[in-house]
Amino acid sequence: MSVRWQSLIAVMLAGLLAGCGGDASKARFAENSALAKQLLPKARKAVQKTLDEHFGAPLDSVAWLKLPVNYGKAEGTVKSVDGLKLSVEFNKEASDVDGLTSPELARAGLLFTSGVSAGKQVLLAKFDPKTNVFEALQTLDSPPAKDDTFVAAGHFLRHGRKLYARHCQHCHGVSGDGDGTTAKYLNPRPRDYRLGVFKFTSTGSFPAPIKATRDDLKRVIALGIPGTYMPSFVPMLKENELTAIIEYVRWLAMRGEIEKGLITELKGEYSRDRSKDEGIDKSLETYLGEAYPNFVNEIAGEVGEKWSGAEEEGTAITPKKPRTQDTAESRHRGKELFLGNKAKCVNCHGPAGRGNGPMTEDFQKNPTTNEVYAERGLFDVWDQPIKPRDLTRGIYRGGRRPIDIYRRIYVGIKGTPMPGNSQALSEDEIWDLVNYALSVPYDSQAPKLPKPHSVAEYSTEHGHAN
Amino acid sequence: MRKFWCLFFMFWPIAAIVYSAMSPAYGWWFPGDSVTELGQRIDNLFYLILIIITVVFIGTQMALGYALWKAAHNEDEKAHFSHGSHNLEVIWSVAPAVILLFLALYQMDVWRDFRVKAYFPEGTIETPIAEVTARQFEWRIRYPAPGKKLQPKPQPDDLYAVNELRAPIGRAVMIQLRSEDVQHAFFLPHLRIKQDAIPGQIIPIWFKAEKKGIYELLCAELCGWGHYKMRAQLTVEREVEFQDYLKKLQTDQNYDGFPTSDSVAKKEE
Repeated sequence: MSVRWQSLIAVMLAGLLAGCGGDASKARFAENSALAKQLLPKARKAVQKTLDEHFGAPLDSVAWLKLPVNYGKAEGTVKSVDGLKLSVEFNKEASDVDGLTSPELARAGLLFTSGVSAGKQVLLAKFDPKTNVFEALQTLDSPPAKDDTFVAAGHFLRHGRKLYARHCQHCHGVSGDGDGTTAKYLNPRPRDYRLGVFKFTSTGSFPAPIKATRDDLKRVIALGIPGTYMPSFVPMLKENELTAIIEYVRWLAMRGEIEKGLITELKGEYSRDRSKDEGIDKSLETYLGEAYPNFVNEIAGEVGEKWSGAEEEGTAITPKKPRTQDTAESRHRGKELFLGNKAKCVNCHGPAGRGNGPMTEDFQKNPTTNEVYAERGLFDVWDQPIKPRDLTRGIYRGGRRPIDIYRRIYVGIKGTPMPGNSQALSEDEIWDLVNYALSVPYDSQAPKLPKPHSVAEYSTEHGHAN
Repeated sequence: MRKFWCLFFMFWPIAAIVYSAMSPAYGWWFPGDSVTELGQRIDNLFYLILIIITVVFIGTQMALGYALWKAAHNEDEKAHFSHGSHNLEVIWSVAPAVILLFLALYQMDVWRDFRVKAYFPEGTIETPIAEVTARQFEWRIRYPAPGKKLQPKPQPDDLYAVNELRAPIGRAVMIQLRSEDVQHAFFLPHLRIKQDAIPGQIIPIWFKAEKKGIYELLCAELCGWGHYKMRAQLTVEREVEFQDYLKKLQTDQNYDGFPTSDSVAKKEE
């Protein structure tokens, strides 16, 4: 008995000493191991190193200026210098003054733009938002003087991380992989940002899908996604908090995409199954020393361009004609398109719009690998089974405004088998489909079209009812 | 030492009373006066009970203190064992029973006005202004189109909002409360309204807000890990503003990328 007690106490003590989750300050972003395990161990390490260098860790994030992320910057002037302490005044006109008062600036750097330290960065240990006093991490070689100007960058990332950790992480995961602790209980699964694909956007998909804009992400956070577990976060989160979270999510998405890009590139030559090849180590070393750094920049540039491209003027899909009047005729035309071969909606959404079309019963092919899925039904790019929307329920995940439905039909839903129809359908046809889709939940109340006389009408079953 | 124990046991009730008396000054109290008349009546009930229990508390504590103090100085008399006093038992059973019965009867009209449908203010039942559906972890709100009645089932022209309930000032209005998943509680602390939302039930709640403002709407039933996220707001505004809001919702909801006649050049957000 006593031995058992002793061992129990020993276990408890060990537990106390080890703590619960290890050292949080050493937390790292999870690797995309499904992809990374296909690489040679050395190549895998190289990818990790690149990501650590350019993105850092959750608690020690790095603002990679090559990416189109608004890291948040605040301009200001030095008031006085006292050893390590810099008393400053912020430029109130700075557009990002929101969130400035947060201590998030503490671990940011100050970049001096004038005076002896111009062009130099000072790393900070502390920031007191009440007195606006910074404390530098180490003694300054050439201390800035009064009236020197500076830019402090990076507080959105830090503020965003804190908010993300509090509100988003338990579903979307630390690295945005959609695999947080609560994720496994949810259906549909939370979005995995790492493909950089977001479903409900205002941007187009032809010829190539365009990324989500900041406003698209904001709309989703503000309105939630009915029919899923994504709730609305407004009015709980304020404007500056939304901004910070959105930048952080974009940053995570870019990180995931760059990770995937690097792995895909390295996989060509340095996949795991080539570990026995002669001279592969040497070749990898040469590659990492010569072409690789350029490639890292190249892919970051590519990914960045896609994201900044989405923010450009005119990326939002807007109809060229106003909505066709919602008449019985328009709905009827929509219904014919819905059932017809031109739009092919019925193949997935089913004849009554219940989301049970023939495609959902068939084995589908994975469009990227060309392999047939082991199970029946449709799958999205995250390899999750997905159901076509049941239109009779009146729940519209991407919004219920006519323009939202228009965009779903025109653009499709990115990452899912719902295709864009901008090429197949005319403007009028899309509006007819919108009118029909919005009428499906209320089908029984719909005004009846005057029926052309037919034989069936005079059959005994219906009598002469008209 | 005997005196020490007397003082020790007397210190705590006094500390409790001082602490309670200080509470309002430190904001540990109601969030301001109720903005509904019914809420004020609920507050009055609360204060009545507070007064009764304060009197009882002070009385019993003083009696206890007196007994302690007196016994501490009483060297002559010895304690004796007793099987109890029938008269005392009757007194301390009947007295609380009378108080409780009084409260049960006295609060009845407030309860009736708050809960009994037949006593809801005229016009509220026939024309609920909105249906509020709680779900993990948000409040989804459905208004009827301006000039129409809210139907139990969604209608094509219904208007939808999330986490933002609006109501006109000075008019008794009713909402229908539902839950889509688990049990939630619709809590408007400034209006003194707290009502559980139960899956499968439609529960009517009425209120008549007398003061313009934005009030917190919270979930007051632990409904899951995201319970804290259910922080919405109730905006009480003038009737005209409320109608304008509904019209704006309608315009937004019918937005097809083109400005309509009632929204001048609304730019795509």
